[in-house]
Amino acid sequence: MAAQIVMVPQPQVDPSQFETVSATAEFDPPVVQPGEKTIYRVAVNATQNSIAWPDEIFAPPELRPGPAARGQLTQPDGTPFHPLTEFYYEFTAATAGRFTISNFVISASGSSVMVPEASVDVAADAATEPARKLLLEFSERNLFFGQPFRVRVILPTAQGNRLEALRDVQFNGGGFLTDRFVTRQSVEVVNLDGQLKPAFIYETVATPLAAGSLMISVQAFTAGNQSGGPPKYVLLVSDPLKINVRPLPTETELPGYTGAIGKFFADPPQLSTNRLRVGEPAHLKIIFHGEGDLTRFVPPMLPRAHDWQIIADNPPATGYTLIPLTDEARETPAIPFSYFDPAAGKYFDLTIPPLPVTVVGEGLPEQLPTDDDESESGAPLKLSGLAPTPGKTVASLKPSQLCDWLVILQFVPAMGFFALWRWDCRRRFLEAHPEIVRRRQARRALRGEKKKLQQAVKAGDAAGFVLHAANALKISCAPHLPAHPQAMVCADVLAQLDHAEQNGHTGETVRKIFAAADAQFASAKTETADLLVLKPAVKALLAKMEEKL
Amino acid sequence: MKFRWLIFLAAIFCAVETGGAAATNDFFAQGLALDRAGQFPEAAAAFENSIKQKTSSGALVDLGIAEWQRGHAGAAILAWEQARWIDPFDPRARSNLKFARQAAELDEPQLRWFEAASTWLPPAAWLWIAGASLSLAAGALVLPGIFRRKKSGWQQTLAALGFGFFLFSVAANLGVVGRAQIGFVLKKNAPLRLTPTRAGEVISTLNAGEPARKLRTRGNYFFIRTESESGWIEQNQLGLVNE
Repeated sequence: MAAQIVMVPQPQVDPSQFETVSATAEFDPPVVQPGEKTIYRVAVNATQNSIAWPDEIFAPPELRPGPAARGQLTQPDGTPFHPLTEFYYEFTAATAGRFTISNFVISASGSSVMVPEASVDVAADAATEPARKLLLEFSERNLFFGQPFRVRVILPTAQGNRLEALRDVQFNGGGFLTDRFVTRQSVEVVNLDGQLKPAFIYETVATPLAAGSLMISVQAFTAGNQSGGPPKYVLLVSDPLKINVRPLPTETELPGYTGAIGKFFADPPQLSTNRLRVGEPAHLKIIFHGEGDLTRFVPPMLPRAHDWQIIADNPPATGYTLIPLTDEARETPAIPFSYFDPAAGKYFDLTIPPLPVTVVGEGLPEQLPTDDDESESGAPLKLSGLAPTPGKTVASLKPSQLCDWLVILQFVPAMGFFALWRWDCRRRFLEAHPEIVRRRQARRALRGEKKKLQQAVKAGDAAGFVLHAANALKISCAPHLPAHPQAMVCADVLAQLDHAEQNGHTGETVRKIFAAADAQFASAKTETADLLVLKPAVKALLAKMEEKL
Repeated sequence: MKFRWLIFLAAIFCAVETGGAAATNDFFAQGLALDRAGQFPEAAAAFENSIKQKTSSGALVDLGIAEWQRGHAGAAILAWEQARWIDPFDPRARSNLKFARQAAELDEPQLRWFEAASTWLPPAAWLWIAGASLSLAAGALVLPGIFRRKKSGWQQTLAALGFGFFLFSVAANLGVVGRAQIGFVLKKNAPLRLTPTRAGEVISTLNAGEPARKLRTRGNYFFIRTESESGWIEQNQLGLVNE
């Protein structure tokens, strides 16, 4: 163990002490058996900072060096202040003999001080008592980062059951923090190697601040309350103990974690009132309970709430003053909080739930004074009474003018009238031009006859072919005269042909068709089967006649 | 058989309609009771529920009263304007608007002549008037000819009147569309910004209930023009009459 420097507030120093700086040196115990430990102590009545102490002490090689320490004693009860600094070296004698650390000179408070020589006798048959040491105990050895744990420093009774108190207790090692304000000193009977012994107990709470393995030891001065003679302050040191510190799991951390480690409970939150005005404060009282020490308990962080102003109570109180900023607030904001339970190895949610509230807004006037009233009646303006019935209803406040389909619907009747007017115009036009109607009717009738003609040809019905061919010819020439189709005769059809056609093959075809058609009314039946060969000529003729329609 | 189906459908329709009306009345009645008990936020919530189910002028008037009583001048003025939008002849909405504007020292929205004309009747009425007057004019012109009747003076007069009403109602309909862009500032000291961002420079702050005309939208902001200035305002701080 390296020598430690103890940082303490520098008390007022008596100037006269510089004239009387001296040093003492001794082995404790002065007689040991081989393999036993002995402590080489050097006490200087000067402040630690004023002593230029050598880096190495030249000891006989038979003395194996062990841990070293140094400490400064403060005597706040004494005036003027008498400083005492003690240097502590642990040696183990390997062989029997007398071993001496010779005298040497150090510089203290600007003057040279002689450290006298000191000897230790090592004898196999020596009756010895082991060197006094402090004992160190931890409530937990496997911890989580930030998890407080209890530390006990035990000073068993010395020879003759003499009980001594401890002072200037100092913990050595890095990566942890001890709480000087939470200490307890007591005298208890402890079990040491199967023997019950009274002991002075110094208890405090430490918190690891680094993960990994940490070595912790303690040093302290005995209180020096020995019977008779001046008080003798002895620096004692413990063996170092190891603790293992694990980091907290970050993946499963819950919202509102402020570093609380342990087991905590919260009483149901109490709000001073659940009906308040905008801007009026209400107090939310929250009480936390926990197993173990609550002095380092950090209350939940203030949440961000749009509708609320939140002021935390001064620690250690864990309440909040809540001020509603709007009457739209229906409940207090939830205050997220969680803690880590090292026993379960996980986080637990302890969020303060929202509480329902009714927030009343800032009042507005419900009536104006008559002076402010500019109404003609002179009666004061005031807020009307409530409407007793829902009154007129609408499907939506969105105006119908913005609905395209409804606008178009409004114009449908007008468009209907327009269409009607157009139809009437057309009707009047056709009334003035009946030939258009006749030709249209003739075209329609001609298409029907042509279809029947085709069917007759397919069926090999010569009589039907002749009948429909004659009808088709009559229909196609009737609008030109104008006359009813049934009134048409062969001559009328021929008249629609030019001179060459009348005397040619076309004229001949017409005549044959009409002759055959007329013959159907004769008493003697004529053979018409060969007339089917006229089909191409009739088809060409009808196409020509249709073009004229 | 057909009649049976018709009767069945009619019964379902009536049941649905009656159920909706009953629920609306429940919320409305609940709002009235809460307001009379002085529980204005709860009353406003009940009236809002009533309006969500069936928008009515009475519920809007009462919502405005509840909002005014809880100190929300902007929301109250918006509710009364919406009540007048549905029923321009509602005396409560009219008198409350006059009272509120005088109490809060606010101006009425500045309306153009055709927008002012559009306030005479409910918005939907102007659309029906436009359609009916156009149909009347067209019918008066077309039908006598179709029915081979001689055109008479009264028919011509009717057609002219129809066209006249149609033209006026077109202007009024444009006025309705224009008024649909008018909104009212809902919250006190609402910031009017130079740019449509939260970090935009604040030109000025607007009073609750102050009228403004929405000109365009970008993101979560409306570009509005008030009587004296233009700028961007967050959408949730401006209530439009038709929303």
